Amino acid sequence: MKNKKRIVITGLGTINAIGKDVAQFAVSLREGVCGINDIDLFDTTEFRTHKGGQIRNFNARASIPDEFSLKRMSRADQLVFAATIEALTDAGLYPLPERFKEDMGVIIGGGSGGLFEAENFYADLLVKGLDRSRFSRLSTVYCASSADRIASNLGLLGPKTTLMTACSSGANALGYARDLIESGQAGIVLAGAVEPMCRITYAAFNALKSLDEDVCRPFDRTRSGLSLGEAAAILVLESLESALTRGATIYGEILGYGVSCDSFHMTAPDEKASGAVRSMQAALKDSGLSTQDIDYINAHGTATPANDVTETRAIKEVFGPRAYAIPVSSTKSMHAHPLDAAGALEAIVALLALSQGFIPPTIHFKERDPECDLDYVTEGARSSDLRHVLSNSFAFGGNNTTVIFGKYEGQGAAHGS
Amino acid sequence: MDHEHDRSDSQRIVVTGLGLVSPLGAGKDEFSRRLSEGACAIDTVQSLDTSAVSSHLGAEVRDFSPRDFISVKNLRRMDRTSLMTAASARMALDDAGVTVSAENRDRIGILLGTSFGATDVTVQVADTLLKEGPSSVNPILVPNTVMNAPAGHASIELGFRGVNITVTHFAVSAETAIAYAVSEIKRGTADFMLAGGVDILSKFYYESLSKFHGLSPDKDGAEGARPFDVMRNGYVVGEGCGILCLESLSCARNRGARIYCEITGAGMGSSPTSPTQWPKDTQGIRRTFQRTLNSAGLAPEDITAIMASANGDRVLDAVEARAYDELFDACGQKPFVTSVKGSLGESFSSGGIRACALALSVKNKWLPPTVGLSNPLLPMNFVTGQKKEIDVKHAVLAGISFGGTYVYLVFSDYKSQ
Repeated sequence: MKNKKRIVITGLGTINAIGKDVAQFAVSLREGVCGINDIDLFDTTEFRTHKGGQIRNFNARASIPDEFSLKRMSRADQLVFAATIEALTDAGLYPLPERFKEDMGVIIGGGSGGLFEAENFYADLLVKGLDRSRFSRLSTVYCASSADRIASNLGLLGPKTTLMTACSSGANALGYARDLIESGQAGIVLAGAVEPMCRITYAAFNALKSLDEDVCRPFDRTRSGLSLGEAAAILVLESLESALTRGATIYGEILGYGVSCDSFHMTAPDEKASGAVRSMQAALKDSGLSTQDIDYINAHGTATPANDVTETRAIKEVFGPRAYAIPVSSTKSMHAHPLDAAGALEAIVALLALSQGFIPPTIHFKERDPECDLDYVTEGARSSDLRHVLSNSFAFGGNNTTVIFGKYEGQGAAHGS
Repeated sequence: MDHEHDRSDSQRIVVTGLGLVSPLGAGKDEFSRRLSEGACAIDTVQSLDTSAVSSHLGAEVRDFSPRDFISVKNLRRMDRTSLMTAASARMALDDAGVTVSAENRDRIGILLGTSFGATDVTVQVADTLLKEGPSSVNPILVPNTVMNAPAGHASIELGFRGVNITVTHFAVSAETAIAYAVSEIKRGTADFMLAGGVDILSKFYYESLSKFHGLSPDKDGAEGARPFDVMRNGYVVGEGCGILCLESLSCARNRGARIYCEITGAGMGSSPTSPTQWPKDTQGIRRTFQRTLNSAGLAPEDITAIMASANGDRVLDAVEARAYDELFDACGQKPFVTSVKGSLGESFSSGGIRACALALSVKNKWLPPTVGLSNPLLPMNFVTGQKKEIDVKHAVLAGISFGGTYVYLVFSDYKSQ
């Protein structure tokens, strides 16, 4: 086997509950800002819970000047398009030079797509009937339309697809993007995910009784569920060689990627944590690193009673006694859980942590759970010169994905602010 | 595009099992027999009421008995997409002679394409939410609303715990899943990958497609879809699931497995197109076709046959025919072209069933006819009327989607390699 190409990240873009862009997101992560509060995107009166990590004051026009495109995009399309423009600009690729279009790809972790618009359409349909409903409003209902919008608007001619593994979609998009570059099927790839908040999703998690009525409390003894969020997160991936040739700023490197499946239950994690253990081990093996090398774990940490104890158990099984020496935090305590976008958003967290040298905290923590006994960084952010960060994403369907990011040192390295 | 041509047996991927639930029968034997006879599964839709719209044809799966394949314990948790997937996955493993065990289960995975997933279940949730309020939403339905539910259910039913990823990118979902699965085995993350696609007929989406004026308005008769015919007037919706069992040639040889064919090439591409429109120019097809040939190390004249994407749509069929006409313009020997969507309809993630059809074609040395084609829109080597007996050395599976996404695969007779 030839030596693998090194794949680096040269651009970041996000919109989420605690950041209108990457710069604001980084500040919020350091300061432990909470983005979870009362939802006003739709009426929550009839719901059991009312809180979530909603994106406020999103100005689609600022990123999408073209009225024709704007009108045809769902809220999800608009959010991810805005994040894409930010990431490309950050990477020094916007406006996009013609020479990169031929083999530039886009891989999106799909979420609810245009479900927010679809539910409004469906509400109308029930009242007006088939013949008086405007079916053109459904043109963006499926999550795959986001990647099509991005590719079409930017004129990309390379590989394009949408992966959907529920809450690990965003992490899988990064893994697949890396593989496409490694195998020479793509040059630069835009990889990430988007999850818009909508009533159907909110109702589904209410029905499952998975939501905390208050803010979520990852790893806390009194935790009682997750806080639903929404986010768009896009990363620009390319080979190290390509980044150096372009003179790009490098945030870090994808060193390892591992996927596994519980084969246990559709919505509950396997209590033995075997799936989570295997995805972390697969990523470690892929990276060639040992358990000694991991400096920080960005946990899936949803704050459901089952996830946090299972994930803790899995970390202890993989890392042995060293588990107690590794800071583990759940940034979902701040930006809430943007489901399919979580893996991509938390990849940005990992890269900011590596390039700026800090460990983001787990906020809202009050009481220690005897079964969750690791260092969850509950006293606020820490400064730390991190070298390797491991990020977990676990999902409905028993899908587990782990990605390991490494600090990049050398020509073009991004430095802390 | 610098695809590496590693020809070691661990990097050569072969098809060793087929599993399908199709409008032409469940299982490869009945499917193969009816395909070779030029049977047509298109008929007036019986499973849903189509009286509200102007289209009434469909290719339905009618004689599928999930109980023959799925345990009673899991059966009641699955929706129709999951039932078809778990059944097809079981057939593919059985056909390949693979038994899932404690030793191999972490090395068996699934890559499934689905364009629309269980849209009917999501509509059911929306319906309850809007008519009765959030407290009436049935939590049992929720796990099936995620697109990765079929792959999750299949893993639970069959007990495999390896890579588990769902692709949802409209009409190329299954082709992408197969290309992705090939690269997973090459990367060494799995020994066996189940790869293919599933989609079903559902009321909401049948009505939506009809309202988008995509469907053939024909009332009856077996020739509703007329791929490549000058008289075509829209496609007919189909449904079903098709799954391949893939492994490396070294793995297949070691266990003495029967080999249907080798997957020698794959290529992906995009062209700027609106998310709901079929591409209007041939560039995307030509570019992706060329990438695919490059990845296989083949020239156009090496291609014996093309299993086309044409479905009877006015735009798609014309663009696809023109693209091949241009691509093979300089070749003395032009490939045979056929589309099974004339008998199976357009099921969007049809790539799984069509891949099964192509694997059978290579193995059994005959190409199925394009049912419904009598007046070709261009003079090409279309297979019409009855099957064409021919030694298929290299055949191409074409995946083209509205939104301008392309995935092509090369299936080769592995003995001639």
